[in-house]
Amino acid sequence: MILDVDNLKIQYRTRAGAVHAVDGASFVVPEGRIVGLVGESGCGKTTAVRAIMGVLAENGYRAGGRLVFKGQEIDEAATRKLRWRDIAYVPQSAMSSLDPVYTVGAQIVEVLTKRGGSTRAAAARRAAELFELVGLSERRLADYPHQFSGGMRQRAAIAMALALEPSLLLADEPVTALDVIVQRQILDTLRALQQRLGLSIVLVTHDISVVAYLCDEVVVMYAGQVVESGPVREVLARPRHPYTMGLRNAFPDLMSDAMALVPIHGSPPDLAAPPPGCRFAPRCPFAEAACRTEFALPSGKDHFSACRRDAEADQLRTAALDPVTWQRSLSYAAS
Amino acid sequence: MRLVLERFTHNALALLAVTTILFFMFRLMPGTPLAAFISENLNADQQQAMLEQFGLDKPMWQQYFIYLGNLVQGEMGLSFFQRRPVTTILLEVLPNSLILTLTSLIIAYIFGVLAGAWLAWKRGSWIERAAVPAVLATRAAPEFWIGMVLLAVLSFNAGWFPSGGASSPGLAYTSNWQRIASWDYVHHLALPVLTLALYLQGLPLLLMRSNMLEVMHEEFVTMARMKGFSEWRIVIGHAARNALLPVVTAFALGVGLSMGGNVVIETVFSWPGIGRLLVQAVSVHDYPLAQGAFLMIALVLALMNFVADLLYMVLDPRVSHGRKG
Amino acid sequence: MAERAEPVSTAPAGWQLLPVLRRMVAMPLRDPFAFTGLLIYILFVLVALFADQLAPLDPMEILFTKAGKLAANLGPGADFPLGTTNLGRDIYAQLVHGTRSALAVGLSAAVIVATVGTVVGLVAGYFGGTTDAVLMRIADMALSLPFLPFVIVLTGFLGASTSNIVMAVALLLWPNSARVIRSQVLTLRERAYVEAARVTGASSWRILFVHIAPNILPLSFVYAAIAIGWAIITEASVNFLGFGDSTSVSWGMMLQDAFSSQALSRGQYAWFVPPGVCIILVVVAGFFISRGYEEVFMPRLRGR
Repeated sequence: MILDVDNLKIQYRTRAGAVHAVDGASFVVPEGRIVGLVGESGCGKTTAVRAIMGVLAENGYRAGGRLVFKGQEIDEAATRKLRWRDIAYVPQSAMSSLDPVYTVGAQIVEVLTKRGGSTRAAAARRAAELFELVGLSERRLADYPHQFSGGMRQRAAIAMALALEPSLLLADEPVTALDVIVQRQILDTLRALQQRLGLSIVLVTHDISVVAYLCDEVVVMYAGQVVESGPVREVLARPRHPYTMGLRNAFPDLMSDAMALVPIHGSPPDLAAPPPGCRFAPRCPFAEAACRTEFALPSGKDHFSACRRDAEADQLRTAALDPVTWQRSLSYAAS
Repeated sequence: MRLVLERFTHNALALLAVTTILFFMFRLMPGTPLAAFISENLNADQQQAMLEQFGLDKPMWQQYFIYLGNLVQGEMGLSFFQRRPVTTILLEVLPNSLILTLTSLIIAYIFGVLAGAWLAWKRGSWIERAAVPAVLATRAAPEFWIGMVLLAVLSFNAGWFPSGGASSPGLAYTSNWQRIASWDYVHHLALPVLTLALYLQGLPLLLMRSNMLEVMHEEFVTMARMKGFSEWRIVIGHAARNALLPVVTAFALGVGLSMGGNVVIETVFSWPGIGRLLVQAVSVHDYPLAQGAFLMIALVLALMNFVADLLYMVLDPRVSHGRKG
Repeated sequence: MAERAEPVSTAPAGWQLLPVLRRMVAMPLRDPFAFTGLLIYILFVLVALFADQLAPLDPMEILFTKAGKLAANLGPGADFPLGTTNLGRDIYAQLVHGTRSALAVGLSAAVIVATVGTVVGLVAGYFGGTTDAVLMRIADMALSLPFLPFVIVLTGFLGASTSNIVMAVALLLWPNSARVIRSQVLTLRERAYVEAARVTGASSWRILFVHIAPNILPLSFVYAAIAIGWAIITEASVNFLGFGDSTSVSWGMMLQDAFSSQALSRGQYAWFVPPGVCIILVVVAGFFISRGYEEVFMPRLRGR
């Protein structure tokens, strides 16, 4: 296990009070595996990943929980030493993540010399190697970020991330901004790199089909909490939490039977004042009265689910396949 | 390259427009149309020479082209009161204006950039909140008034600086360079420069501060932090380097704008520059000299606009290196 | 796409304008700097209105002491709060009455600049094509003229009246606001509600004034507030250089008077410091208010 996220709590100070962006999230990243962190916008996945890097917005802070990397607990001060050398980050949009006034090569060399202690000559050679690793031409090192196409920029960002040979890669929606064909290429590149270099990867995305394509494990987050986690095949074939069941329905290409798109009605709760009990209850077609007051901790062995009605998971799953079930949740959302 | 040509043409045309406006403006002044270049002050020979050189007996449209032709050759007529070629007079005082402008701007911009970056660093503190209105106040004060106060306090009262002019009477120099480099010149230059710098620093300061605040929120600055770079490298190497771009362009523009605005400073300190020349020429209705001084200022303005365009093109890789895709 | 031509809600003029006006009026209440600026303006307006009551002495009247001598260069005292000029005129009275000329110049220039700039910006931005090209060329020409030298030449040769100064200032200041407003119009032109209005057959002028103009209004005020400051400083500069009307009282004329009568060497701070301070106050007030309207127009998401 290379990373252990234990009951992580991240909050933002705002004029409206504290926003609980991540509220007690726990998951593990086994060594050498690709873990997908999936959920809708605002569920806290990006915040969690940034907290692991130790780079939050000015008004963000860790309010609780532990981060254990390679057996060592890391606090906010310790993360700085680890940055890029052990844990690296691949951003969503490489265009705005690269300094526009320096060439891409210069920026890679900068990392290698200033954080890696390398000489300029050695750094230049390594930069060329890295580009080759991700499938970019060495000549491109002399270009500026705006001269790259979207897919090439992502490759460059990956190359940059691998510069100091980290053991853990945090990829935040790395393919969201790309078209489907390029998406596949980048994901294939990531898998090839992972196998070749023995990397562990946390892949943050809202697109469950990406998770299905690339990941070994999946962690589903909702409203700042982890609602389900486990091996990808298992979770997607036999989800045990209603939210995951609903998510699955929203990506019909994963389902063997052709199904109409079934949206989950309603929207996530306000994280400045989170409701007691299960946060998904207002939108859940299977919610009972007790769900609103009681909080369920994730239970299970390798496949965790945070649902009170976990024991009935199989029946619920069958019901979830029927679109009519989700219409019922409308009335719950209204109440 | 095409862009360079386009900007050059644009600025050249602007300059042409100014000269045309000037041409008609001075012709429409009270008095005869000849009054633009001829007055009783000049002797008969000089008057005749001017008549021929500027074709003052020819139709207006012909005069216009002769006028332009003369301008290109540097012929701007004779000053009514000094009875010397205008061009000569202008070139004599041009260095004084340039030195005043450039020195003040350089000092103002160095200070402004450093202070602006520092204020951005100190965002949210009381220093920052008090500093911004204070700086705005320096921009709100008339330049000449700042000059007057400094003159009164530092020159008349404390006696630290001379009260005007560019040199003390009775001093002789072998060359212009020696004169400019002398301590006496610098001593005279100090107060005007101080005044101008005080007035001018507001712009780079506020600009740099505002740019830094924006840039610090850019994604690539967060990325630099994620890479674990030192705060110094992040702020100076990445943030400031990006924030500086508009400031450099503003500097170039500032030179052009300042030349026009220096009129008042030169008057307060009796600094022998183009601005003061313009004021004197206008008050005594020395039309050729006034035209010439005005044109010279407009020329510097157009030139610096062009330089600013060039700088922007060169310094921003997004412009200098086109998309290759 | 609907089969029938449904009338899309092109809101009547009042509804677009009202929220904008409401925000503009409410702005000083939320921005302490703009509020201070507004207070300063109100203060000076009151002073201008009640100048005769606040300073009963005629600012241009040459005064004599009780002993019959010229009351020249007297220091601040009971009779003359700020002292007298070298010609025996009451400085305080000049300062108070000078407010009128300052505000007159500032406000008239602001109105002209804002009106011309807004109209040109709207027309150029919306109609585009040759109209746009021509208007922008004219704007460029105005911008390539050195500001103060042009005002000097104009007043020096045409005469030193206040209206000449205001005209010269307005002539050179409108392009800045016109350009910015034009670029805003270009963005707004592509917005959905404008498209909708066009589809339902609203005339260009209606779209321009009902849908686009209200959104531009705060921007006009931004430039109007800035123009007040510029006009006052320019008027003061022109007066200082001796091209102004020396018979009418203004802060610039006071500074010119002080300078040419060697007030600096005599250390008569009470003469030349107050007019400068007044100018600073009015101009800074303009800056604050313009920043406030900038915020209304384009609210910054990050708190300042």
